[in-house]
Amino acid sequence: MTGPEPKQRRVGGASAPILAIERITKRYGTLTALEDVSLTVNRGEVVCLIGPSGSGKSTLLRCANALETLDGGRILFEGREVHASDPKSARAVRQRMGMVFQNFELFPHLTVLRNVAIGPATVLRLDRGAAERRARALLAKVGLSDKAAAHPAALSGGQQQRVAIARALAMEPALMLFDEPTSALDPETVGEVLSVMKALADEGMTMVVVTHEMDFARRVGDWVVVFDKGRVIEEGPPKQIFETTTVARTREFLSHLGWHGESTLDTAASSSSEAAQHPIDKEEVDR
Amino acid sequence: MNLDWSVVWNNLPRFWDGALMTIWLSIATMVLAIPGGLILAFMRLSRMRLVAKPATAFVEFFRATPLILQIYWVYYVLPAYFDVQLSQMATAILGLVCNISSFNSETFRAGIISIRLGQWNAGRAIGMTDAQVMGRIVLPQALMRVLPALASTWVSLFKDTSLVSIISVADLSYVSLKIRTESFRIFEVLTAMAAIYWLMGYPQAKLVDWLHRRYKVAE
Repeated sequence: MTGPEPKQRRVGGASAPILAIERITKRYGTLTALEDVSLTVNRGEVVCLIGPSGSGKSTLLRCANALETLDGGRILFEGREVHASDPKSARAVRQRMGMVFQNFELFPHLTVLRNVAIGPATVLRLDRGAAERRARALLAKVGLSDKAAAHPAALSGGQQQRVAIARALAMEPALMLFDEPTSALDPETVGEVLSVMKALADEGMTMVVVTHEMDFARRVGDWVVVFDKGRVIEEGPPKQIFETTTVARTREFLSHLGWHGESTLDTAASSSSEAAQHPIDKEEVDR
Repeated sequence: MNLDWSVVWNNLPRFWDGALMTIWLSIATMVLAIPGGLILAFMRLSRMRLVAKPATAFVEFFRATPLILQIYWVYYVLPAYFDVQLSQMATAILGLVCNISSFNSETFRAGIISIRLGQWNAGRAIGMTDAQVMGRIVLPQALMRVLPALASTWVSLFKDTSLVSIISVADLSYVSLKIRTESFRIFEVLTAMAAIYWLMGYPQAKLVDWLHRRYKVAE
């Protein structure tokens, strides 16, 4: 890694990490999606993975959730090694790890309420009443109580993604994975999803977020990891990545996204209208 | 032309019995061919070649040979060479079930394959077993998607049951052709037969059209 690593300053760094990714490699045929990647996530921490498309961020999430087998290295979740090829081990991991997909992947044949309740009902074997009570509470939390009886197709993209977050939370996970949760959304619904995610982070949920929303990474993230070509090229607190990075490739990537480092940040920080420009500060959750 | 429709009116109870037999054969066949088709589809989707290959062979054989040959084969070859003696009714249903199961299995398989991988991942991500994902997520969506195709098969089956008349199962075709032979009133009897098939088949075809419209949008 580049630059000083202020490990001691990481959130939850005092205890053992909840997720430890140790030198993993993942190949698809001749394509190397991840090469020798290591990463730790501590309890209560929000880790944001950024980098160009195809740099391996999403693959890393899929490996962590035992949806992909590894070609090298190992992954420890809550101190135990994840074995994707062993269905039992994979299920044990997934039950404790919520995942939110870019394309929501709600179950279109079920109502919103059943979408959220189906995990507790089938996997945790809660009775129908208890599962649906839990689902209703979570729908209220993401501001969609009034949509419980609707089918996913009747909802906007932002609403569908909030349901997907509630569905993942219904399993009471110890860690939430977000795979580009706002990339498939219309710009006007991005804010409501980011608000829900920020609220979750404020409650202390441990989160790993693959995102192209640099504002979110900077403002909500505790730790930012930059990927390029299947490798981690830099990691550190948001301030380091967005303001003081010395890594040329990080600078290049950020400037491609229209992020111009310190000067822009300074201007933004001193601007009184800044809050209004950031969608995550809008009160949109209950809209 | 000198027409005498009394042959139709006088034989109405026999036509009625024949029509009931046709309906009964269609229902009995479909009731067996839906689970049959599902089992064949699951076998073909299995990663184990020893499971998948026999199912493929079965389906490809019954899809690619005429139903009339299958019925003859069950009726003549099984008793003569394998010492299996089935009643005419059992023969008819066995032939029809093998044939329709094969078509259904392809319908179900196409439906299951059409559900995108993301749905599997979403189910697995909340900790479901693959069997739970199949039963609660993939199969319900697949069935909804293939309902129109299944209904089309039903309408074909309804008409194809007429083939069992060749082994003397007293369905509508058999009864009609028998009345024709007895009375020599070819025009009247065949017209009545056509009218009865049409009266039963047309509403079904319309229902299929409606199902196609109703379930056209997948999501």
